[in-house]
Amino acid sequence: MSGSRDAAVAPEAAGAGESEASDAGESLTNDLGEPETDDATAAEVSDAAAAEPTETPTDREHRREVATDRWLGIAGAALSLVGLGVLVRQSSLVLAGAVGVGYAVYARAGEAPTATLAVTRSVSDAAPEPGDEVRVTVRAENVGERALPDLRLVDGVPPGLAVVDGPARVATALRPGTAVTFEYTVRGARGDHDWEPLTAITRDAAGARERVSDLDAPTAIACTPELSAGGDLPLRGLTTVHHGRVSTDVGGAGVEFHATREYRRGDPLKRVDWNRRARTGELSTVELREERSATVVLLVDARESAYVAADPDAETAVEASVAAAGQAFSALLDGGDRVGVAALSPLDCWLAPGSGTVHAARGRETLATDPALAPTPSDERFYRSLWLRRFRRRLPADAQVLFFTPLVDDTAATLARRIDAHGHLVTVLSPDPTATGTAGERLVALERRQRLRTLRSAGIRALEWGDDSFPVAVAAATRRWSR
Amino acid sequence: MTDDDALVDFHEADARPPTAAVVASLAAAGVASTAGAVAGPAGGALLGVAALAFLVGSFRRSSRVLGWGAAVGVGGLALAGYRGAPAEALLVAAVGLTVAWDIADHGVGLGEQVGRGARVRRNVAVHAGASLLVGALAAALVYGVTLAVGGGQPVAALALLLAGGIALISALR
Repeated sequence: MSGSRDAAVAPEAAGAGESEASDAGESLTNDLGEPETDDATAAEVSDAAAAEPTETPTDREHRREVATDRWLGIAGAALSLVGLGVLVRQSSLVLAGAVGVGYAVYARAGEAPTATLAVTRSVSDAAPEPGDEVRVTVRAENVGERALPDLRLVDGVPPGLAVVDGPARVATALRPGTAVTFEYTVRGARGDHDWEPLTAITRDAAGARERVSDLDAPTAIACTPELSAGGDLPLRGLTTVHHGRVSTDVGGAGVEFHATREYRRGDPLKRVDWNRRARTGELSTVELREERSATVVLLVDARESAYVAADPDAETAVEASVAAAGQAFSALLDGGDRVGVAALSPLDCWLAPGSGTVHAARGRETLATDPALAPTPSDERFYRSLWLRRFRRRLPADAQVLFFTPLVDDTAATLARRIDAHGHLVTVLSPDPTATGTAGERLVALERRQRLRTLRSAGIRALEWGDDSFPVAVAAATRRWSR
Repeated sequence: MTDDDALVDFHEADARPPTAAVVASLAAAGVASTAGAVAGPAGGALLGVAALAFLVGSFRRSSRVLGWGAAVGVGGLALAGYRGAPAEALLVAAVGLTVAWDIADHGVGLGEQVGRGARVRRNVAVHAGASLLVGALAAALVYGVTLAVGGGQPVAALALLLAGGIALISALR
């Protein structure tokens, strides 16, 4: 704390030093160029004006000016002391009352000054990794004519970032030309984060009037996590016609045995079952499971209800879903499948299925920074039927859906069944955000388990993962699943 | 909450008034109580109650409690003055009481808007300094005027002088 305080004092000292230096320079030039004093001073002034481009005040939006009513009643108290003094003939009471009147005048005299500040904000790292600590330094210089006897600054930290050290606020007093610097640390979280305007609250010396304004100093950081490849994700048997790695129920060329059938002219000789020919004399052909590629859309539940966590400091189900979707994205893309990204969110988010390195980069960008998948929920309203109509229109006919949802309400389960019913095979992947502390928490956990059971009985694959990692849960579940 | 807790569990919104404001307010209230005790024991006791109310109001973040404390303090001033306290002690008590209330209330506002963890010392110092300066100037002015016009004037004359001053100020504004 003391270090940051020193840092805050330093710019003021530096400012004072600068002004002294410029004074000295002025006197020096005046001494040297005495014959043409007027021109020299004119040049001096214009130089000074040109040399201070940073001193333009930051754009501000005036929000409100109010009377704080702090001193309400001071005049009444003062005059009643005077009145009592007159009644009981005590001059000391009149004098004490007169002091009160002095304060009443003081309270009425002031006017809340305008926050004419030049604000600069700098971050130590504009592209941090998730979990990295980013040092934010805010400097506000009073570039106005008037002193600010009471200035409070509250920085507009993006809602998705947590302040982990030092409040993003300061209260101080600034003479014209002086500056205040304060620092704080935020922890990087996935996504694009824009700083909101800095709120400046100024009061007059007595604190009787208050003016609130917003100072716009745009700053942004982008935090894009690397996608780590997860384990192989078993897909369901809805595939494209292209060659790939998903075993299908279609007989043809492949690796795994599927069936035998009667020989037809033109079947390749190496697929003829020669053992059977030797045994019975009939020609038959072995069919193998065709391996094809799939089109997969990763659907992440990012409605407001999905922003849940087991405890206040834990990562939300949306964060867990996005991390798992990132692993699935790179795993599927490596397997030759076409992968897209969509969000179940009031905001529109759609990355059409595709493949290739460019698509991989685009998917990483979408998962990391799309506003629909932001670390904090949006304020918009979610309309289920509108969303479903748009989603179905975009979804390719042969696409299957990996639906990442915490399943904390019935809407998610209903949507999964409806998408499945429309022929897009759905696999529900559910991070477990429930806790077991209180009776209510246990009830919610029970309801969620019931939803999973209903989904499974409706023929939808569902897997959940809690404390163990997503790939572990996938590996454990894959053993259970038939194709 | 101890410092260790604060380190383990950092919350930005600690809305309690900053320590500097609470300490400055208590110091001013202490001066007011001492001056009140010199002026008269009963008035001094009421000013002590006011100091206690400022402390409680600071901890409960309540301007209302601070307001009641100030009202009790004014009552203490009135009682001390009624019992015939010397003008000097009463003036010091009045200025001390007002400054103590002003800083405590300022601290509550600061706690709401920037919180306890923020750097506020300069702000509190400027506010307290301005408040003290105004009080000192007002006290010096009225005391000087009383000395100048001589002690023997009737009280009503003083009050009329004050009324004239107020009228003059409001006309000038």
